Amino acid sequence: MELNVRDLSVSLGGASIVNKISLQVQEKKFVGLLGPNGCGKSTLLKSIYKVIKPDEGQVHLSGTDLLKSSPKAVSQLMGVVGQFNDLSFDFTVREMVMMGRTPHKKLLDADNAADFRIVDEAIRKVGLEAYSSRSYLSLSGGEKQRVILARALAQQPQFLVLDEPTNHLDVKYQLQILNIVRSLNIGVLAALHDLSLAAKYCDYLYLIKKGKVAARGEPKEVLTRERIADVFEVECEIYDIPVTGGLGIAYLASK
Amino acid sequence: MTDIQAQPLRPSYERALVTSRYGFLLVQLVLLAIAIFSIGVAISIGQVHIPLGDSFRILVYKLSGIEIGDIPALLQGQGANIIWNIRFPRVLLALLIGAGLSLCGTIMQAAVQNPLADPYILGVSSGATLGATFAIMIGFGSIGFLSQMGVAFGAFAGAFGAAMMVMVLAGLGGKMSSVKLVLSGMVINALCTAFANFIIYLANNTEGIRTVTFWTMGSLAAAKWDKLPLVAIVMGLAVLFFLLQSRILNTMLMGDEAAVTLGINLSAYRRLYLLLTAIVTGVLVASCGMIGFVGLIIPHLIRGLVGSDHRRLLPTSIWIGGIFLVWTDLLARVLIPKVELPIGIITALIGGPLFMYMLIKKGYSFGGK
Repeated sequence: MELNVRDLSVSLGGASIVNKISLQVQEKKFVGLLGPNGCGKSTLLKSIYKVIKPDEGQVHLSGTDLLKSSPKAVSQLMGVVGQFNDLSFDFTVREMVMMGRTPHKKLLDADNAADFRIVDEAIRKVGLEAYSSRSYLSLSGGEKQRVILARALAQQPQFLVLDEPTNHLDVKYQLQILNIVRSLNIGVLAALHDLSLAAKYCDYLYLIKKGKVAARGEPKEVLTRERIADVFEVECEIYDIPVTGGLGIAYLASK
Repeated sequence: MTDIQAQPLRPSYERALVTSRYGFLLVQLVLLAIAIFSIGVAISIGQVHIPLGDSFRILVYKLSGIEIGDIPALLQGQGANIIWNIRFPRVLLALLIGAGLSLCGTIMQAAVQNPLADPYILGVSSGATLGATFAIMIGFGSIGFLSQMGVAFGAFAGAFGAAMMVMVLAGLGGKMSSVKLVLSGMVINALCTAFANFIIYLANNTEGIRTVTFWTMGSLAAAKWDKLPLVAIVMGLAVLFFLLQSRILNTMLMGDEAAVTLGINLSAYRRLYLLLTAIVTGVLVASCGMIGFVGLIIPHLIRGLVGSDHRRLLPTSIWIGGIFLVWTDLLARVLIPKVELPIGIITALIGGPLFMYMLIKKGYSFGGK
């Protein structure tokens, strides 16, 4: 599945948040959205997964026009791990993950053996087998996030949208979540806040500043000293990490 | 991933009996049996005590025409009349009202995503009180059928009108969020209460004030056969409809944004559910006045027992709500000899401590953390 976003503009309460952004996620690529708080990353993602109506622009997932399709049709193709996953009422982990089957269910369909298999598989993938009958609200932030990821996996999506999926998580779980996502081998569009993680996991990056694409390309092309100073307003040095050969970022001080 | 370092800290929340399909079916059958038993007991006890066997035989005869033992002799006594014309319709109404309040409470809590919600939250209570007060104090005069229906019509119109105003108010200026709904409900509540008090103050009618006070405490004493069909039909349709909505209700609890990503656009459903619960609650209030606590506490109680999944929660709380009200109505009739207590007093007296127990008990957090 290929995601194509063309000239997408979103304004909230009269203020323009996203300004004619175009981006593309090619087949099975992991694409990262980077940018400071308030640059419009989340708003952009929300209008892709239909929570916010954009003013103009087009969003296509392979042959499907997402903006013109029903939420149900979209949810059968695309899974979303959002930022806010607090509940007012409690469910068990398994019940939460089972909700991921909703897009594939008619009103009166019961959960069948195949659903349980898919749900168990999703729970196994995020490593929460021992937790499946635990209450969701009793879990830690990282565990909750993994449950939400499992719910998205139970949708059996062909494309995944992640909005800062590793927020508030320990390093271990940040790596774990991104590892799971990458192992799915499907197209992913993720807003990320950690530049080194983005450099490590993403095939391609879009750097967003004030609702516009400031730079795009492979991590090494995009994450330069000058760009980071411009977009994030911090001084840093970029270096090759000797052990892994990855991209290292050392922050110096704010401007 | 092989890094599950710890076993669950808290006891497992597995509920085998209610999560397996047959176990759940069994629970429903047991609840049906309890409901029938409760009806039997409730129609036998009262100012005039009638043996359980006799009342059972009278019911069976009246319902199916099958004669068990000496039916003619039984029908001669005053028992048959009391059971068939007074107690049975009353007990059935209690069952329907309890089931309805508990259904509407469950739906409201999901629709506004707030564990404090009850059927009366959208201004229904004070709207109904205002309507009833108007009917009692001023009356609809000679407007044909309205003067016949009187208080019931006033209560329904008030309840429904208030709920509609709350929904319009919450929908103004963009999205109808659950916070806006709850706050709009409070505002309309305050306004309706003010108007009702204004009428009471100006009318200066002691008898009327007494009637209004009794009305706000709820009573099933006025139950008659001819009142039942409307409540039964409305309830039957509502139960049928909402039982089919369980999946959507579940995603509703995930929050608006997550629900969209699961393929369900909540705002349309929320509007529909609120409209329907407003109608159902209006009908309930019109037939028995205000009965507090049932719609708040039964859904929480049942959530603690079977979890938040509406496929189990809804049917179970409908049964328990009905059974609960049958027993509280019985208490209202027999607790003090020769005195009929308003049922709202009993539901609060039982519901309050029950709620306290749930607050203190571990393992159920009312949705909070």
